[in-house]
This record gives sequence, C-alpha cells and structure tokens, in this order.
Amino acid sequence: MQRSLRVRLLLGAAIAILLALAGSWVGMTILFERHIERRVKEELVRDGKQLAASVSIGADGVPVIAREPGDARFEKPASGLYWQVSTPRGMLRSRSLWDQALPASGTASASRWSDRLVAGPFEKELLLVERVVRPERGAADVLLQIGYESAPLHESRAQFGAELAVFLALLWVILSAAAWVQVELGLRPLRRVRSELEALQRDPRARLDAAHPLEIEPLIRAINELADTRERDLERARRRAADLAHGLKTPLAALSAQSRRAREAGAHAAADGLDRAINAATAAVEGELARSRAAAVRAASAGDSAAAQSLIESIIRVVERTEFGQRLVFEVDVPEEMHVPVAAGDFTELMGALIENASHHARRRVRISGAASPGARQLCIDDDGPGIAPDQISEAMARGGRLDEAGTGHGLGLAIAHDLVGATRGRIELSRSDLGGLRVKISWAFAR
Amino acid sequence: MRLLVVEDDIDVAQDLARALQGAGFIVDTAGDGETAWFKGSTEDYAAVVLDLGLPKLDGLSVLKRWRSAQRDFPVLIVSARSDWTEKVDGIEAGADDYLGKPFQIPELVARVRALLRRAAGHASPAIEVGKLVLDTSRMSATWAGRPVRLSQLEFRFLHYLAHHAGCPISAGELAEHLYGASDTNDSNAIEALVVRLRRKIGPDVIETRRGFGYALAQNGA
Repeated sequence: MQRSLRVRLLLGAAIAILLALAGSWVGMTILFERHIERRVKEELVRDGKQLAASVSIGADGVPVIAREPGDARFEKPASGLYWQVSTPRGMLRSRSLWDQALPASGTASASRWSDRLVAGPFEKELLLVERVVRPERGAADVLLQIGYESAPLHESRAQFGAELAVFLALLWVILSAAAWVQVELGLRPLRRVRSELEALQRDPRARLDAAHPLEIEPLIRAINELADTRERDLERARRRAADLAHGLKTPLAALSAQSRRAREAGAHAAADGLDRAINAATAAVEGELARSRAAAVRAASAGDSAAAQSLIESIIRVVERTEFGQRLVFEVDVPEEMHVPVAAGDFTELMGALIENASHHARRRVRISGAASPGARQLCIDDDGPGIAPDQISEAMARGGRLDEAGTGHGLGLAIAHDLVGATRGRIELSRSDLGGLRVKISWAFAR
Repeated sequence: MRLLVVEDDIDVAQDLARALQGAGFIVDTAGDGETAWFKGSTEDYAAVVLDLGLPKLDGLSVLKRWRSAQRDFPVLIVSARSDWTEKVDGIEAGADDYLGKPFQIPELVARVRALLRRAAGHASPAIEVGKLVLDTSRMSATWAGRPVRLSQLEFRFLHYLAHHAGCPISAGELAEHLYGASDTNDSNAIEALVVRLRRKIGPDVIETRRGFGYALAQNGA
C-alpha cells in the first residue's frame, strides 16, 4: 500500500475530506442548535413581555394578572410550556404547571431577560427565561418566569444532525470520486512513461518522448541521459569484445602452427590437447564476432526490404559447399515476390545463421518455407534432425548460452538469430517440425 | 601441380605455402590484389587460395575479373570476416569454396584437394542426356544450353541417373547411392530432391516412372 502512489494519494484525500466534513458536521449542528434556542428564547421573552404588561400587585401583595397569555399549551397540564409570576407574598402559575412550581431564582435581573437551564417540574429539563419587574412605583418586585422543556430542542438537533450526516456522507463520496479522477488524470503521464520505459527496455536505442508535463520533464531527461550512457557503455563493451575476438585470431593461428609442429615432432597427445583448446577458443571468438555483427543491425526502418527467395537461394549455395550442407537436400518454398521488412544484409546474416544451424543438425533435409499476408511475413526453417527437447528451448535461445558449447549445439546460431530478429522487431519461435527435427519460425508484423 | 596462394599477411602466407608444399604442391604466392590478378591471368594454376582482405585490389574484385576473363580454375576463399553477406558475395562471384579464418591448415589442404579432385580425373568430362549436359570436371550442368548451379548432392543424383540413362532407378537405390545406407524416411528426401531439381532446372528434367522410380528425360520433349 505504501508503495502505490495512487493508493496513497487517494487515501490521503479521502481522510482529509472526511475530517473536514466531520468538523463541519459538528460545527453546523452546534450552530443549528444555537439558532433554534435563540428562536425559542425570543418566543419565551415575548410571552414574558405579555405577562409583564398585564401583571399588577393586589392589595394583599399578591400578583394579579389582568389577562393570561393566549397560548393553549399554558392551559394543558405538563404540556412543556409554563409561566409563573411570584412576589414574596404569593404567586400565580399557568394551569400547565398543575401542582408543580418553577424553581425560585436568585439570579434573575431587573434590567434584562436572562435564561438558564434548570431541572423543571415533571422531572424534565427546562429552558427558563426570567426577569424581575416592578409594576408600580413603590410596589414589591415581581419575578416573571417562562419555562420551556428543552427535550424537543435536543430532538430537532439530533434529527438535523442525522440528516446532515447523510448529506455530508454523500458529499464525501462525491468529493472522493473527484479526488480519484484527479489522481488518475495526474498519474496518466506517469503511465505513459511506464509504457515508454518498456519500449526502452526492449530496444536500447529507444528514448522517452520529450513532450511530457513540466513536472516530470526532469525525470524524463535523467532517464534519457541514463539510456544514452547505457547505450554508449553497451556499444563500447561490444566493440571491445569484437576487438578482443579479432585480436585473438592471429595468436590462435600461431598456436595452431605450434600444434602442427608439435605433431610433426611426434608429440601427438600434446597436439591433440592444444587443438581442442584452439577449437574451443575459435568457437568462442567466432561466436563473439557473430554477435557483434548482430548487434550492429539497425532497427528496421520503413524503407528496408529484402527479396527473401533470392537471398535464401544464395545462402543455400554457400551452405551446400560446407561439410554439413553438401549431403543435404534444401527445399525452398518461398513465394518469389516475397519481401521482408529487413535490410538485405541483416536478412542474410539472420537466414545464414539459421540455415547453417539447421544444416548442422539435419539428417537429409532442410526446408525453408515462407508466407506473406498483408502486414505480416513469416518464414519457417525445418530440419529432420534430432530436434530440441521442449524444456531446452528457452535455454537454446538464452543470450548467455555457453559459447564453448555452441560449436556442437543449436545454441549459438539460435542466440544470434534471436538477437537479429529482436533488433529487426520480429518474433522467433521454436517448435517441433513435421520433418522430425527443429522448426524455427520467424515472423514480422508491420503496418503498411 | 601449381597453386596460387593470395594472402597479404606474410606469416600466414608462408605457413600456408609450407603446408601446401609439404602436401606435394608447387606454390606461388601473391601479397596484394593486383599481383594476384596478374599472376592468375597469365599463369595456369590448378587452384587458387584467395584471401579477401587484400591491399590495392580486394579479393572479390580479383575473383570477378578472373571469372569474366574466363579463368575458371577452382578458387577457395579464406576470409577473416566470415559474415554471411561476404560468404554469399564470394560464392556468387564464382568461388568454389569458402573457409573462415582462423582455420586448421589440414582442413585447408583437404579442401584444396577436394577442389582438385572435382576438377580432374575424368577422361570424358561431359555426359549428355537429352537436353541435360553434365560437366563432371566442374560438377556443373547446362539444360538446353542454359547453365544450372548444382549442389554436390544434386550433381551426384543427376550423375547417377545419367550413368543409368534410360532405365528408372528406385528411390531406395538412389538413397543407397547418395547416403550409403537407406531407410524409409530417405525416400522422402529423394522426393524432395526431385522436386527441387524440377523447380531449379525444369519440370520435365526428371521423369517419374510409377512403380519403378526416376529417370532422366531422354529426349527432353
């Protein structure tokens, strides 16, 4: 999870959005509660003002109300809305209070309406609004109290909170989806980089496209520079390997002259050992040179084209002169007009390696067949030799196949062919031939 | 028999000359292309060993000039590059064999001997059957006057049929002759060889006598 940029960005965005929305849920719920509380208090104060307007003090010091507040809830017992008017001598209460009373107050002020939460009658919490008034100059103080049960307030707050939560959850989903879209859009250039890097991996000559967003351009430049360095190093290594192989040829010739002299002097065992070593070294040198030639192959460009049949016939004329080739029948079943999208020189190296390889292992016959279809070319080289066991096929194609064994195995020719086919953007497959031996199928697909 | 060795590396040239002299040949050497071309054009050699990388005139050009001047001694090319394009060019230019460097001297001597064997030893070098003429000295053929390039196997096949002109030879006998021994798979190879020769020379060069075998067309009709 920590290694995925997308997951990290998405998770970060989702959590940040969730926290922000949770914070706003708390804030908005509090604001809502305060808002309805204020509205309720205003109503209670209005009722209180009505009371204040109609209150007077009777002769016995007991308060008298000229007209009771009109709200029907004051008439219904335990309705949740109550008033109470009290003086030190006595008090008046709404019918809704029944036999209960509102708690006495020590904090009520004469200058303004104050409010507080109290434990009210019928064991309910009350929002209490109260004030002290003096109806007549010189008369006693009258305490006006209007109470309202706070439970409905809490209820509507909870309801509002629940509805808001649903709405905010929906908003969270939408915002997270938007964040996902943003991350996808933001990471899309990186995906392109990845596909271009895959191309670079296949072909050391490929480079990343320069037209990338500004933010990742430095990365692209760095990768391209790295690729340049790699290609240069590769080129240098190849050149040195080729130089080394070339350089070994003359000493090898000198060594074989020594071996011949040793044999003439009668040291046959020493000469045999020397010859074996020379043969192994020669095979390695030849292999390295063949590889350096394969490496020099350019990637197929649109204009490259080779006439397959005539080049194959030319190669067969060479192979027919070799020790292995002279005993074989070469069947060529390639359309005369067939062209392959490879430079003629590269095609000659490729088919030379494959046909010679087949001739080393064939018993009687080597068959080269070709087929052309729009946008695709295919060639098969079949022999009637022992073939390769399926589990050794990948080994035969491996680049690092042991060169000193390549003189006898299928290895070197196939490894070279593999390099060449790869460089010309073709495909190579090995399978069992209907002639009994190995079938090497090479194919190119191209857009025309 | 006189041979010409064309090689610009003096050590290699001397080594080659010594080995070939030891094998009983008389050896001339040439160190560059122009000398080689001159010697090859004026002297009669039984065979030439030709290095391709030569100063002044490259080996391939020397060979082409000889061939266009009808100098048809067998030529064995030796080359250090040993890439396929060069091999193909060499054979197409008229070389008879090709040997990549570095090579074993005994192998070179054996190849030279094989070239000489092919070029010599037939009292009557041409065999004619219908439109087909086989040149046993150069192991080549013409069909209705047109030259045909044959591999050794193809030549031996036609040669055997020509020796038995008129009577059909079974695939089994042909396989026996070509491969020394035969099994059932070999008749497939013989069939493939016939298909290839018909394509190369002409569809009527070899007749199939059903139940008997193959024969060369007598009158080429």
